[in-house]
Amino acid sequence: MQKKLTLGFFFALFVCVTFLPIVWMFGNSIYGDGGFSFVYYKDIFLTQKYIKVISNSLILASITALLSSFVGIPAGFFLAKINLPFKGFFKMCFFIPLIIPSYTTGIAWANLLGKTGFLNNILSQYMLFSPESVSNFIYSIYGASFVLSINLFPVVMLITEYALKNLNPRLEESGLVTGSVFRVLRRITLPLITPAIISSMMIVFVLSLSEFGIPSLLQVNVLTTQIFTQFSAFYNEKAATAIAFPLIAITFVVMTLEQVYLQGKSFEILGRRGSNSTIKYDVKWLNVVGVIFCTLVLIGCVIIPLSTLVFSAQTISAYHDAILLAKRGITNSVLFGSIGATFLTFMGFFLGYLSEKIQSRLRNSTALFIWLFFAVPATVLGVGLIKLCNRPEGIFQFIYGSLWIVIIGYVARFSPLSSRIMANYLKQIPHSMEEAGTVIGASWYRVLGNILLPLQSHGLIATWLISFMFCIGEMGTTILVYPPGHETLPITLFTVMANSPANIVSALSIIIVVMTLLPVGVFLAISKYLIKSQIAQ
Amino acid sequence: MNALEVKHLIKCFDSREVVSDISFNVEKGQLLALLGPSGCGKTTTLRIIAGLDIQNDGEIWIEGVLASHGSKSLIPQRLRHIGMVFQDLALWPHMTVCENIEFGLKAKGLAKTERHKKIDAVLTKVKMQKYANEYPSRLSGGQQQLIAIARAIVTEPKLLLMDEPLSNIDVKLREDVRQEIRRIQHETQITTVYVTHDQEDAFLLANKVVVMNAGKVEQTGNTEEIYSFPKSLFVANFVGESNVIDVKIVGKDKVSTPWGEFACNTKGHEKESAFLFFRPHQARIEKGGQFDGVIVNRNFVIGGYTYRISTSGREIKVQDLAKYEVGQSVKFSIKKMEVLLF
Repeated sequence: MQKKLTLGFFFALFVCVTFLPIVWMFGNSIYGDGGFSFVYYKDIFLTQKYIKVISNSLILASITALLSSFVGIPAGFFLAKINLPFKGFFKMCFFIPLIIPSYTTGIAWANLLGKTGFLNNILSQYMLFSPESVSNFIYSIYGASFVLSINLFPVVMLITEYALKNLNPRLEESGLVTGSVFRVLRRITLPLITPAIISSMMIVFVLSLSEFGIPSLLQVNVLTTQIFTQFSAFYNEKAATAIAFPLIAITFVVMTLEQVYLQGKSFEILGRRGSNSTIKYDVKWLNVVGVIFCTLVLIGCVIIPLSTLVFSAQTISAYHDAILLAKRGITNSVLFGSIGATFLTFMGFFLGYLSEKIQSRLRNSTALFIWLFFAVPATVLGVGLIKLCNRPEGIFQFIYGSLWIVIIGYVARFSPLSSRIMANYLKQIPHSMEEAGTVIGASWYRVLGNILLPLQSHGLIATWLISFMFCIGEMGTTILVYPPGHETLPITLFTVMANSPANIVSALSIIIVVMTLLPVGVFLAISKYLIKSQIAQ
Repeated sequence: MNALEVKHLIKCFDSREVVSDISFNVEKGQLLALLGPSGCGKTTTLRIIAGLDIQNDGEIWIEGVLASHGSKSLIPQRLRHIGMVFQDLALWPHMTVCENIEFGLKAKGLAKTERHKKIDAVLTKVKMQKYANEYPSRLSGGQQQLIAIARAIVTEPKLLLMDEPLSNIDVKLREDVRQEIRRIQHETQITTVYVTHDQEDAFLLANKVVVMNAGKVEQTGNTEEIYSFPKSLFVANFVGESNVIDVKIVGKDKVSTPWGEFACNTKGHEKESAFLFFRPHQARIEKGGQFDGVIVNRNFVIGGYTYRISTSGREIKVQDLAKYEVGQSVKFSIKKMEVLLF
């Protein structure tokens, strides 16, 4: 009973902060003045302007998925299948673009390729490009796809590497007995990991579709920016909701397809535990190509954007000014991020438990239901939360006017992610650990407190830090819901971009990058400590 | 009074029936072994008794109290006063041996002094006193087994359930731990249900054996009954070494085997075709034997040899003390009083 009550409570909470705002929002958009009306939806599907916006979103997401796979698949392959020198270093660096908020990479590339950008100057001087054409490129749908694929290629890389590493080595070995390395790669390895690659591309597609920061920064007219414009500039929430409809529909369809596609197809890859027994292709020239490729990716995706931001900040005083300017933003970000991460960790634990540990037929459907909400664009959630909470009743007024609306925004956006992380950690604990406690006569809360939570300490710390990292960088929802005086660092950055010098913007971006990378460092340090102490035990 | 009664238990997963109307009981202080191949439903049965799973139908009675009926659990798992040793032992790696054992006592609300008294007593019983402050990862496989047993019995449960506890340890250690289990069970007299697919475990430990196959009880009895008088072909084949030969009943107490006619009790068999069953030790290689054969394989076993004898295109297993060479022609007989017909 204790277990059912607790899990039920957290699931209900999840439904309240994610599902309810969206349903409420859609309900409001079709119901008004005593009747149903689909006038805004008619506009969306029949107006040329909106059809263009929808196609822009689809083009952005498709190109990003393709570009990410061009970089991510080889990177994952080289990490998993060749004896790459400095593999750990490369891998850690390749994670950076995924970890840091996407708009910071956008700011860096806009600085580089903008009209007065350093790279723009070089390209126009030596390669016969006009400064305008280079600048037009970065401020276009293609430029946005380029920057987004830098941010999202690690998703493809990670899944490809994981799939390759977990491939049953005997399947490849049996091919190698009779065929060459490349024949095995073409006929056995690649077909076996194709489901994983397609799945990763679908995830990138969905994430690009729901991205707000980069399209907004690079002034690309897509569905997420349209929602923001309709809501914030024209105060037309019904139109904003109607625009959100195709976005939600597409993302839900793609996510469901991804889940359906994965079922049964990827068992060979995902059914096995992580192993280091994968076969390495020890071909000399392939190793050389791997090193060159990974170095180029490192330069293009990590060193260039980060060093551009550092150089654009120019002076130490820029950081000083940036900190002064964003003092409140920094404090709020740390405070809201900490509270948000704590809530997300608890939500993640119990939702992860629901998705992984309950013995019920509904387990898979529950996991899918929770995961689907990761696809809900940030701006859509923002509008939904405002629609739900902006009302005169006491509790709603309190939430709407305080930091809690931002926290709820974080929880709504990232609890599918934190639950997925926790589910993966919970998977590693055998059911018998918990059953041994309950059989012996302990209540579920005692088992929870004395067995499950302590056994999950590593997972809880990881979830907290990852959640904190995502909360710190969150902009799409916060920009819509934050009450006056409660702006976070990304909001400050978004505001100062319009009216502050570029060096301050760059300095602020670096501060955000440091604040998001710091938890990763802490996590790595804690992991090392825990592993050491486990060995010592 | 029976300490445990399982009545007409049925359990389905989706539409597949994994436990089909099984019934058995265990007397107080007895050790009952649920023996059967993997996937026969024995662990599911054990989990239902523990309350970890709920059956679709049937009843579980523990010491005369109805614990579950139909598809309803009447006594929740934590109130059934059951100790359980899991297949993977499930020792909590973040707790010391002492803390692992103490957990159940704390859950029962015992005072600290009483808890420590019981922990000392149980550690003495399993001869593991000096490991009280060790973490499980520091212990050997056998020691971990004993700690898992100590944790399960420290609360003095009405019933001790053991789910293949010896399946993950090597043969030598297995023998030692088996002896320890026997000793501890004998000393504590805790009614025990022991799930295993290993007949040696079942035969050396149990007072009573329930042989299961495909969710059904094939036979219940003491070890001698199960071994010497199997009631089904499955039990005959599954328990111990055996020869099963398809034969034709050609007359009253007469069957036709591949190597000639053989006299045996055919009472109760109406069909023409049947299976003749006998153990390797029930056949003898002897000079004046009834049938001819050639030795095709010889294996040394402690206390003699097992032979495979080819006879009329079939191979049979025979156990003998004397040594014969592979390829040697021999004569053999089968003790007709000890064969069974299915």
